[in-house]
Amino acid sequence: MPEPLLKVESLHAGYGEVRVLWGVDIDIEAGEIACIVGSNGAGKTTLLRALSGLVAVSSGKLLFDGVELAGLPADQILARGIAHVPEGRRLFRGMSVRDNLLLGAYLRSDKVEIHRDLDYVFSIFPILKERQHQDATTLSGGEQQMCAVARGIMSRPRLLMIDELSLGLAPRMVERLGEALIEVNKIGLAILIVEQDVMTAFELARRGFVIETGVVRMRGNTQMLAKDPMIRQAYLGL
Amino acid sequence: MLYVQMLVNGIMLGALYACLAIGFSLVWGVLNVINMLHGSLLVLGGYLTYTAWHDYGVHPLIALFAVAFALFLLGYAIQRILINRVVDMPVLVTMTLTFALDLILYNFMIVYFTATPVRVTLNLGVIDAGGIFVPVDRLAGMVLALLLTGLLYVVLRRSRIGRAIVAVRMDRSAAMLMGIRVEHIYAITFGIGALMAGATGAVFAMVYPMTTDLDFTFLGKAFIVCIIGGLGSVQGALVGGLVLGLVESIAGQFLGPQYALTAGFALMLVLLVAMPTGLTGVKGFE
Repeated sequence: MPEPLLKVESLHAGYGEVRVLWGVDIDIEAGEIACIVGSNGAGKTTLLRALSGLVAVSSGKLLFDGVELAGLPADQILARGIAHVPEGRRLFRGMSVRDNLLLGAYLRSDKVEIHRDLDYVFSIFPILKERQHQDATTLSGGEQQMCAVARGIMSRPRLLMIDELSLGLAPRMVERLGEALIEVNKIGLAILIVEQDVMTAFELARRGFVIETGVVRMRGNTQMLAKDPMIRQAYLGL
Repeated sequence: MLYVQMLVNGIMLGALYACLAIGFSLVWGVLNVINMLHGSLLVLGGYLTYTAWHDYGVHPLIALFAVAFALFLLGYAIQRILINRVVDMPVLVTMTLTFALDLILYNFMIVYFTATPVRVTLNLGVIDAGGIFVPVDRLAGMVLALLLTGLLYVVLRRSRIGRAIVAVRMDRSAAMLMGIRVEHIYAITFGIGALMAGATGAVFAMVYPMTTDLDFTFLGKAFIVCIIGGLGSVQGALVGGLVLGLVESIAGQFLGPQYALTAGFALMLVLLVAMPTGLTGVKGFE
């Protein structure tokens, strides 16, 4: 079995005195779509924030492509290829769609390639090209999520982490975003989706991790997880 | 004719006020730091330009750019080494720190430059446009101030570093996710604030006599302009600066020059009560 792209081992992290993650183990393989599901307050967002360097890791390992990332600042983690699309999109107000996308490529200096990637995300999300000069926060919720995902892609990451892809969006919009992610995944970008909507996550991802109170309770193939009685009862309402 | 003259005087003064306030407004808007040092940086810029011109024969325009660059470095270092350590604390802490720095700089300047008024005298003459008198050095000062303001606007809107500054202002943690090093951008922003102060000080020294104890006068103007125009945007500072310039010019004409300052502060008080976000509101650097 090849070494996974991202390997997280007994990761502990939290905010000040409050510990949120109690030894999380996950691994993401290169080029796959994986998901993390769990209820509100389980630690999903904190895990992503720890992976992207926004929350300090108190102990544990965080190996990306064999390199230890724990303790590195956010810009160095992004530079190594982990991009984080935050919950609630967090687009920059007062700036155009285009400027938001260019900020995604802030750490890059290869101008020609940046413009090629801009064309690439416009080809996946044509609506963004149409609205590229509009204030990004005036877009609809779904379009904002497209912009946020595209902004993440603009850093040319090897792993794209998306927090709450479907939150507050119409089912048709979620479907369209999902199709776009599958297309992006085909060019080799690994994607980690964090979702409260377990059904959506399981449809998109091949493998899943179920987080409860700061630890991974279950893991495996999403088709298998979807058949698990505990998950069916707790998360799918079946 | 008197009204046109007042208008012309007000606009020429207003452009300088806009340029004076913009760095202060930027630092306040992006860092949430009330930079008590701003006025002294203006004075420093003015005196350095004067010294370069008077003692070393440097052309004032060249001196302006050199001084602006030097103050950028000074501002960057102050933020990076000192203010960044306390930037997340309540605003009173950073205000106290910059106030202390202001005292140090002020006293240094009193010793080094003395309190003698100085001026870069260009002797450019006066244009007489059908009874409207326009001193050429003031006109040049206005043009320079507008150019500097325009330049800053373009940098903020069009450059990579400008986008990063606006991003940090809008959403700090999202900016970090873009790979933006916030402490670096803070220092750059403070540096730009100091740069604008230094450049405006240089322009002031070409137009009005400069003395070391003008520091709090300048700081007061920056406050008023920010409150009139709204915080943290280039066009807010422009609007605020021009309004203040006109108000002072008109009040100076009708009530006497000694009331010009009072009129400016009175307007600030009225606006604080009636329109706390200023005439342009807070909408970022558009």
